[in-house]
Amino acid sequence: MAIVSLKNVKKTYPLGKTEVKAVRGVSFDIARGDFISIAGPSGSGKSTILNMIGCIDVPTEGTVELNGHLTSDLNDREITRLRHKFVGFIFQSFNLIPVLTVYENIEFPLLLGKNVPASPERKDWVNYLMDEVGLKDWTKHRPNELSGGQRQRVAIARALVTKPELVLADEPTANLDSETSEAIIGLMKKVNQDMGTTFIFSTHDPTIVDLAEHIIRLRDGLIDSEYRRDTEGGR
Amino acid sequence: MKLIRLAAKNLLRQKRRSILLGSAIAFGILFVTLINGFTGSFIINVGENFSNLLAGHIFIDGVEKSETGKELYIIRDDSALMDAVDASGIDYRFLTKRSEIRGSLLFEGNGINQSIVGADWSREGYFKERIILKEGSFDNMADPQALIISSKIADRLQVELGDRVIVKMQTYTGQQTAGDFTIAAVSIDTGLFGSISCYANLDYVNELLNLASDEYLTLGIYLPELVDTEPSTNSLIPELEKRINLFSRETAGDENPFMAILEQQEEEEWEGVRYRLSNINDILSEVEEIVRILNIASIVILLVLFAIIMVGITNTFRMVMFERIQEIGTMRAVGMQRSEVRQLFLLEALFLALFGLAAGYLLTAGTMGILSSIYWGVDTPLFMLLKNGYMTFTVTAGQILLNTAIVTLLTLAAAFRPSDKAARLEPGVALATEK
Repeated sequence: MAIVSLKNVKKTYPLGKTEVKAVRGVSFDIARGDFISIAGPSGSGKSTILNMIGCIDVPTEGTVELNGHLTSDLNDREITRLRHKFVGFIFQSFNLIPVLTVYENIEFPLLLGKNVPASPERKDWVNYLMDEVGLKDWTKHRPNELSGGQRQRVAIARALVTKPELVLADEPTANLDSETSEAIIGLMKKVNQDMGTTFIFSTHDPTIVDLAEHIIRLRDGLIDSEYRRDTEGGR
Repeated sequence: MKLIRLAAKNLLRQKRRSILLGSAIAFGILFVTLINGFTGSFIINVGENFSNLLAGHIFIDGVEKSETGKELYIIRDDSALMDAVDASGIDYRFLTKRSEIRGSLLFEGNGINQSIVGADWSREGYFKERIILKEGSFDNMADPQALIISSKIADRLQVELGDRVIVKMQTYTGQQTAGDFTIAAVSIDTGLFGSISCYANLDYVNELLNLASDEYLTLGIYLPELVDTEPSTNSLIPELEKRINLFSRETAGDENPFMAILEQQEEEEWEGVRYRLSNINDILSEVEEIVRILNIASIVILLVLFAIIMVGITNTFRMVMFERIQEIGTMRAVGMQRSEVRQLFLLEALFLALFGLAAGYLLTAGTMGILSSIYWGVDTPLFMLLKNGYMTFTVTAGQILLNTAIVTLLTLAAAFRPSDKAARLEPGVALATEK
């Protein structure tokens, strides 16, 4: 069963008296454990598709199925719970909470919801993730004391802290230099291989796109091509 | 716990803004608590000052109906009254016996209508300490015809120490008569209650009123504390009723008991000797009305002040919501429910209110401390409101709780709409909003 399934998804935004068709009818499935890049130029609908997969936006038409749940059947509380349990987010601008330390930012999603893990267990897990992303010595620092690469590492650890099956990364390397970008994608790939987490990331950087195994290229809100590195792929 | 910690951290994020809003709340609390504190002491101070001037908290006077139907105010034999006081077991500091002349004081063509209180100075040592003399001394009261007047009256009559003034008056039966007094001392004018400001010797006042030396008009019972007044009155009444014919103090509603006595005295058919019991609270009930109005005014001021402060809080929280819009989107994206976003903002408002309240009460305590250490004097028009020339403040726990509740609820109400708006933000829209 696909972890994500989009069927004829369309998204239209009102813009003054006109409408912008951000996504014009997209259908695809993503398998569990996939490491997929949604590529395309600015305005091609990458972020809109990621937002709809992450349930932070709703399609105007079509359906999004996430781990077998039709998102249109869920109310806000259920969707928030699904997002919390099932999806991790990595943003282009890192989106860390400035008043919290590195440790607290990573721990934050764990404290939400009803089943908050016990303190020692939580602490061990957060420390493990900090170690994994190479921020062991930055525990008590605030985000404004970190470099862009370090902030994105915090964001990756935060996205993984609830052990989600799916991580959505919206242009995770757009604000980073090429060396750091490759390191970040490398880190994501390592997590994908070690933990089996499905990663979907959007990017318009061709060097980063090439690091993915499964690539969906968008143009003007439609799928331009889909390619799987391990298969003959391409359409 | 996570929300509490985050709310506290968020509040410290913009320290200057939080301090400004907290200061506005603190200022409102300072202003209103000062009024509450002053009015709280107002009733006590006025009560104590009145008790001092009138030399008692409970007063008993006798009314005798003559053969012609005329009412004569006199206590001829107080043995039944003394028995009742003893039997009631009330704790009193001293008993005072006073008579009073109401007439005109005349001196070299100048005249003034004035009451002259005749007191037994050997019984009223405590009272002597309460009158502050500007000129002369209490030693001069050895002269049977000695008179203490206030500086204001002295100025109006243009008299000096040793001058002899004439009093034109009526005896207790209503016959015209006259007497003369020697100015023995001039007291500092107490401002508000100038009419109770002439004192003479009881024997001479009785002589002028045509009373016997053991007769007088009013028995005063001076209690240890103002708060003892009602319990002592309630203990005394049954004992008095066993021994004398007492006018009832019972009223239908919240009417002043003394007004009820006056109505009975006027409307009922009665003869012989009856007694009237009044207490300091009968006089203070008028003052209590002023205090009640002042307290209502303070609540209105608090509400008006906070209506203004609320606008500031609402606008600040709207601004905060806009500043943190992407953060709200992020928190919602990582799994925060709408209700938790609302709680987070409301917790920030609660902390702001608590910080403002704490600062406000500290500021109030400091201000009250400073104001109550200043000696305002006894010759000020405020004298009646002060305690021995010092301002005092009494704030009840109930008032603090009420003010705290009002401020907290208004702050939360002011922050509710922006908090609710933040909670209702769609995470995708919030994340896409550019500041």
